[in-house]
Amino acid sequence: MQDQDYNAFEDYLSGNLDQEAVKIFETRLGTDPDYLEAFQTYQNVSQFVENHFNNAEKSEAFKSQLEKVSSNYFQDASSTKTKKKRINPWFYSIAAAAILVIGLFIEQQFSNPVYNDFANYGTISLTVRGSQDETLQKAETAFNNHNYKDAETYFSELLITDANNMEYQLYKAVSLVELNKYEKADALFNDIMKTPSVYKNKATWYLALSKLKQKDEAACVDILKTIPEDAEDYPKSQKLLNKLD
Amino acid sequence: MSQKNIHEDQKYIEGLIQNNAFVIQSIYDKFAPKVINYIKMNSGDETQAKDVIQETIITIYNQATEKKLQLTCPFDAYFFLLCKRKWLNQLKKTGNKEVTINEEVLSKDDDVQELAFETTLFEEQHELFTEMFEKLGQACKDLLKATFKINTMEEVAESLGISYAYARKKKSLCIGSLTKMVQKSPRYNNLKS
Repeated sequence: MQDQDYNAFEDYLSGNLDQEAVKIFETRLGTDPDYLEAFQTYQNVSQFVENHFNNAEKSEAFKSQLEKVSSNYFQDASSTKTKKKRINPWFYSIAAAAILVIGLFIEQQFSNPVYNDFANYGTISLTVRGSQDETLQKAETAFNNHNYKDAETYFSELLITDANNMEYQLYKAVSLVELNKYEKADALFNDIMKTPSVYKNKATWYLALSKLKQKDEAACVDILKTIPEDAEDYPKSQKLLNKLD
Repeated sequence: MSQKNIHEDQKYIEGLIQNNAFVIQSIYDKFAPKVINYIKMNSGDETQAKDVIQETIITIYNQATEKKLQLTCPFDAYFFLLCKRKWLNQLKKTGNKEVTINEEVLSKDDDVQELAFETTLFEEQHELFTEMFEKLGQACKDLLKATFKINTMEEVAESLGISYAYARKKKSLCIGSLTKMVQKSPRYNNLKS
């Protein structure tokens, strides 16, 4: 291709050709396979370069987040493995016996499952390396330190500018449950459950826990039954369901 | 929009685009074990599995942001096929032939095959473009950076002290020479879809 061909590609793509010229250009694309191939490659290359510059920061943020999740995942996987290796086989039978005794004891003492047995929200990770958002960092730290009063304040603050962020809504609702503000919390969970988002099933599980904390076992059971089998929390929900039934 | 239905697992693609930690985590929790298992059964170890999974997710992310990837099949099958192919290619490169190809775990679903093929093609193209872009002269890189970082070509022309028509022409020549380099590369012929 000659320089003027690339010129024509650019003019065509940026809408700088008049109707007449567009017609001539498109006719040539339809009749000259080499021209068409060069044009398609030009278009692909152009898209690539545009993405390369426009999404460079986002792409870096994504890669560092991915690295974080990946390292955690593989670290967890290998640490459980090495732990397993060190355990003496005798330990299992002793541990099993001990667990049985403790289990029987607990079973007799408290037959009703309590909220604290199941409310394990884990550690959340919202910030990415190099992120400048101070509120987000504060929200994450407060939540992870079980300081739900502050966490609730920070998540509310974040939601002012990012009202549709399901992740913030979810953690705000969890904080509200911890603060015994059930009405607000349950309303938020219900909102999330109506959306097709990935947090839908999480919200359902947390709503069930909220009901458990409110000692409304009937509602808890009803909600637990709606958690689908492919949900991450399905096994836990079944366990709780068995205890409640 | 294509005439094919978008699979509900498109939520994973959207989650990746949004850099959603929760979604990335759930991809690992749900889909990584199968890949790790496969790689371990085929002369690999956990570190290699980690790299394969990470590279595959980055490719999906790139295709999603650059080409608006639309999932027409379950994420599980698509992701596994991509990881598997990547691993088999690596084994081929290192000359290690001890592979027990377990075809039953492979989906025979046409949509999966087709989509995975498109993604592999995209990845190879992306690699070739990246390599060629690095070879481009600094003047071109600067001009292109300006044209895509600044909103309009008029502003670009103004910032560079040249006319709008001239700036557009320069841009077309820079992308043109990149196009030429790409087309001349021996790898280019394998990439034609």
